[in-house]
Amino acid sequence: MPLLKPTPVAEAEPAVAHHPLAGTAMSGADVVVQVLADEGVEVLFGYSGGAILPVYDAVFRHNAEHLKPDGSEPMPLIVPANEQGAGFMAAGFARASGKVGVAVVTSGPGATNMVTPVRDSAADSIPMVVICGQVATQAIGSDAFQEAPVSNIMSPCAKHVFLVTEAEKLEATLRTAFTIARSGRPGPVVVDVPKDVQNATVVFDGKQELPLPGYRARLRAIEQATLSDADCDAFFQALLQAKRPLIYAGGGVIASGSSALLRDFADSFGLPVTTTLMGIGSFDTTHPLALNMLGMHGTAYANYAVEDCDFLFALGARFDDRVASVPSQFAPKAKFIAHIDIDPAEINKVKAADWHHVGPLDRALQRLTQYGKAHGHQPALADWHAHVAALKRKHAMNYDRESTLIQPYAVLEEINRHTQGRAIISTGVGQHQMWAAQYLDFRSPRHWLTSGSMGTMGFGLPAAVGAQFARRDALVIDVDGDASIRMNLGELETVTTYGLPVKVLVLNNVGDGMVRQWQKLFFKGRFASSDKSLHRKDFVRAAEADGFGWARRLERREDLAATIAEFLAFDGPAFLEVMIDPDAGVYPMVGPGANYSQMITGDFIPARQAAQTGEAAASDAF
Amino acid sequence: MQHTLSILLQNEAGALVRVAGLFAARGHNIDTLTVAPTADPAVSHLMLTVRGDDAALSQILQQTRKLVDVLQVQHATHA
Repeated sequence: MPLLKPTPVAEAEPAVAHHPLAGTAMSGADVVVQVLADEGVEVLFGYSGGAILPVYDAVFRHNAEHLKPDGSEPMPLIVPANEQGAGFMAAGFARASGKVGVAVVTSGPGATNMVTPVRDSAADSIPMVVICGQVATQAIGSDAFQEAPVSNIMSPCAKHVFLVTEAEKLEATLRTAFTIARSGRPGPVVVDVPKDVQNATVVFDGKQELPLPGYRARLRAIEQATLSDADCDAFFQALLQAKRPLIYAGGGVIASGSSALLRDFADSFGLPVTTTLMGIGSFDTTHPLALNMLGMHGTAYANYAVEDCDFLFALGARFDDRVASVPSQFAPKAKFIAHIDIDPAEINKVKAADWHHVGPLDRALQRLTQYGKAHGHQPALADWHAHVAALKRKHAMNYDRESTLIQPYAVLEEINRHTQGRAIISTGVGQHQMWAAQYLDFRSPRHWLTSGSMGTMGFGLPAAVGAQFARRDALVIDVDGDASIRMNLGELETVTTYGLPVKVLVLNNVGDGMVRQWQKLFFKGRFASSDKSLHRKDFVRAAEADGFGWARRLERREDLAATIAEFLAFDGPAFLEVMIDPDAGVYPMVGPGANYSQMITGDFIPARQAAQTGEAAASDAF
Repeated sequence: MQHTLSILLQNEAGALVRVAGLFAARGHNIDTLTVAPTADPAVSHLMLTVRGDDAALSQILQQTRKLVDVLQVQHATHA
């Protein structure tokens, strides 16, 4: 008797070739939901409203008709307090999982509240599809109720925007939106769907995509780009001449799934690795070759290593102003800069590369590693390794360990003692974000979720919610600040509504700490609007009011260890506010307009030379 | 230095806005712009002139090539 065996994936026909619903007439709204299901979407984030009601109804029916064996919905729709929350939940989901995050919102204010997450995701190259309801096609341009020119508004913010004016193109457009979001340099794609298109009856096809000849041709050329033997040889000739080579790894390493290949390359040839804020997690921070983050608030040892290196290998990184504030003075001794990126526009944009490759990073790294090993290339780097180890020792991260006030660094070190670099951490933006980047370990990618390029306060809490949906069993901690969390405080209720065991940590320094730090340095301590000591918010009562079963305020240093242990161990949503030293600063700091040799290291990290705040600091640099 | 760029563009909703918006957002003033139909009704031909040094031009060309609706970008002349 023949045994039934599952068909191996490789042999199976592409599922779209014979879609079971091909040829079926259905509404545009049902088409939306069917394409989402076909794309494997597990969760939607969004807020309802008039112009998206048909799609919401279709989601409701789909979930009711396709309940999973355990009784759960196949595509739950998670409702935030504000559409911005939905956008950051989708982004948090995408960052933690590597899959496309999906948000569905209504027209007008629903869509405009989504602008910030869309821009944030474009700036950090996060794949997302945002479906917006729109007023009916015949009402577009009439100043209709809840009408906004979404295509115009979103176009400069998103990777691409579609306004679907013909119902027949809805299916192909939606499927193409996923292709664009995840291909090449990933990013958010907005699909604006008028209500009459949602209500129209169309025949489902099951596989259509838009042709996009220009985009697809360029994408194919980039995806097929390979490194020739001559390219590899040129790379290794330069590397073998170098005495102090350094890898500068960015978010592209994570987006391309190249972390293991980066480790293999670094181990094979002995190159130390520093990462950008977006690259955190691409290289195990506990690895002996790890130098942690570089840049404005990078570790002193990473920044000194950048100063000292004679060969810089940039991987999926773009020399942005938080890394290379003064491009001409960045890595001044580097005789050779090699750069690999998926985006041709990033090559030579800020810093000229002596060698570059535009193509998939995973294949390029694999090829270089194989080529170098096959040819027995082994740079002799013992002196450089000793130098780097000495930098790490001499200029280690440190702070006032004797203070009677609770130091934020101590709070994070205590958390790190428990999590060992294996928790998923989201953050707001400001001092707490930098402290978390500096003092927490990250063993693997997709555990560090932060708004890097846009620097959006309020990112942390909704991103943590999205991440918890991506990783149901993971420990997810939102490390937030008192000012950042206020921006999306409404999402505390979302945490408890869905029973998510998210841990929310607020490092409260009674104001906008990073703004105050700049005002101290550059505006003679005039704290214009950054002091919140007169604000009346009781965060613990707010968390309790939103249903947190564990909500505490920590005010005494001696209670730190026990409180953190209880906070992290709580089985369910937990909220901890820590009253930290309001004068704690973020060090090191490379002032705006300054170079790394002028870095301010503060009172507790030894510097190599006298610090300067940078000539441009009080003027135009930002 | 003035440059003339020739762009073939898919005739989609908002495509022209995306090109013009990209130049504006990246600090380029479009001095002249003409849009003409082509033999293919789905494709429009844009000719525009901008000023900028070589680095600025190279960057805006690369950024324009990232627009999904753009089929082709050519640097026609510079004076």
